[in-house]
Amino acid sequence: MTISGWIFMLISWAVILGLFIFSMVRTLRPGDKSPNHKKSGFSESAF
Amino acid sequence: MARERWGSRLGVILAVAGSAVGLGNFLRSPGIAAQNGGGTFMIPYFVCFFLLGLPLMWIEWTIGRFGGGFEHSTAPGIFHTLWRKNRFIKYFGVIGIFGPTVIFIYYTYIESWLLGYSVFALTGKYASCTDQAGMQEFLRGYQGLADNPHFGGIGTAYLFFLITFALNILVVCVGLRGGIERVCKWGLLVLFVMAIVIAVRVLTLGTPDAAKPDWNPIAGLGFLWNPQWDKLKDANVWLAAAGQIFFTLSAGFGVILTYASYLTKQDDVTLSGLTAAATNEVAEVILGGSIMIPAAFAFIGPQQMQTIVKQGLFDLGFVTMPLVFEKIGWGQYFAFMWFFLLFLAGLTSSISLALPAIAFLEDEFTLTRREAATVFAVATFILIQPVIFFLGNGVLDEMDFWGTSVCLVVFATIEAILFGWVFGMDRAWTEMHKGSDLRIPGVYRWIIKYITPLMLIAILGAWAWQGWKNKMMMTDVNPADKPLVLITRIGLGGLFVFLILMVWIVWKRRPKTTNPQEEQP
Repeated sequence: MTISGWIFMLISWAVILGLFIFSMVRTLRPGDKSPNHKKSGFSESAF
Repeated sequence: MARERWGSRLGVILAVAGSAVGLGNFLRSPGIAAQNGGGTFMIPYFVCFFLLGLPLMWIEWTIGRFGGGFEHSTAPGIFHTLWRKNRFIKYFGVIGIFGPTVIFIYYTYIESWLLGYSVFALTGKYASCTDQAGMQEFLRGYQGLADNPHFGGIGTAYLFFLITFALNILVVCVGLRGGIERVCKWGLLVLFVMAIVIAVRVLTLGTPDAAKPDWNPIAGLGFLWNPQWDKLKDANVWLAAAGQIFFTLSAGFGVILTYASYLTKQDDVTLSGLTAAATNEVAEVILGGSIMIPAAFAFIGPQQMQTIVKQGLFDLGFVTMPLVFEKIGWGQYFAFMWFFLLFLAGLTSSISLALPAIAFLEDEFTLTRREAATVFAVATFILIQPVIFFLGNGVLDEMDFWGTSVCLVVFATIEAILFGWVFGMDRAWTEMHKGSDLRIPGVYRWIIKYITPLMLIAILGAWAWQGWKNKMMMTDVNPADKPLVLITRIGLGGLFVFLILMVWIVWKRRPKTTNPQEEQP
């Protein structure tokens, strides 16, 4: 694998993992819901 | 009767992600990337993800939740609530039921092969096949396309199909929380764990053949990721990236619409849409790209890889991968994990494909979930038979063309235009942010209104120009198969007209105004 191949792979992985971690952490973070969200039918337990 | 709701926020996100993570993430995507510029393919891929995929995700989540507020779970009713002044728009919504149903018909059968191969991997059924030709023959025997010592007929494939089909119907029948949500939560968890275990094993294979030091998984990653800069100027590469984003996110099928319709009005859609999309990308780019191509490259080398990639990776998954796993320690267990993770990816997608038609029967004909699922099961079971018994005669390809290539892009274009232009960007933006946990950057107002619909129209035009003419005229079809393909086409047309008639009957029976709020749009 060439250096540019590594760069492309690592940047792509970083963008995707960054997006995934950012969105998952915000989704699972308790107590940071908008006031409206409290009215929703969701339970807080993930599994 | 109270409307069904999702049990948890993560549950609906994983259900949508499960719908998006399918066979294509592992069997299609790496080949497309390798063929279209390697690492440089990720430039158009990310551009299309942010300008086309994410906006479509948010559009489907938002209009699904909006329509659910009026007790509609499928596109005909939802389109009608978005544009009540137009009495024809609901008929365009039929595409959002027709497309998923047609895909379900053939997808379930392919999914059942994976269940069969999972069992064969553990029992060593294909262990006597030691080369590509042998494995190819095994697959053809299983599919009933050839008589050989491995299988006496299509009986084994049919048995696994019956199990898979029954499992799909059972999951949908059980309901949202107990069925779909539970299967997607645990199914995706198991899928990710299995994929990580296989990827780690593949990437630590080293050099299987000391005489060929260049044949190793890292060189396989290079085959996938080394950039080919000249490809960036090729319009087909950009088109391939747009198409891949479309297929991979399940946006434009009408299934996210139905899933989102079971949200309450105050449930978030922006962060949930982003999370589901990101989960799918992890499965596709990171896990999907780290298994099949690096593993196969280490054993069959660059030249054969080049040939196989041009033909599509489907055979690589069924023919080459079992041979690769046979050559490593604990291979039968890795092979089982490979096929079973693909089966789970298929299952979490196929249940989502079944839901729009079932939800339509529930909502518009006031059937119970069990009654609706039974009607759907009987109808699709009959329609699957030609796919099984005429597999080698182009029936599956014909269904794939209409269900995926045509319906997907046409439906997504209608959705995007309805959302940004008819519903209106101001209302759309407000609706999108109701109860939201993520503020979408303002630039997306402009992207959703102008860029996404324009890109969709360009894709529609390009695909029609490039391939649809040949497909419509059946120039690629074997002359002997043309009558059967034509019958399939007429049958699909009949199904579409039947669905339009059902929508017409439903709206004819309905009082003029069922809900004063529906007059607002």
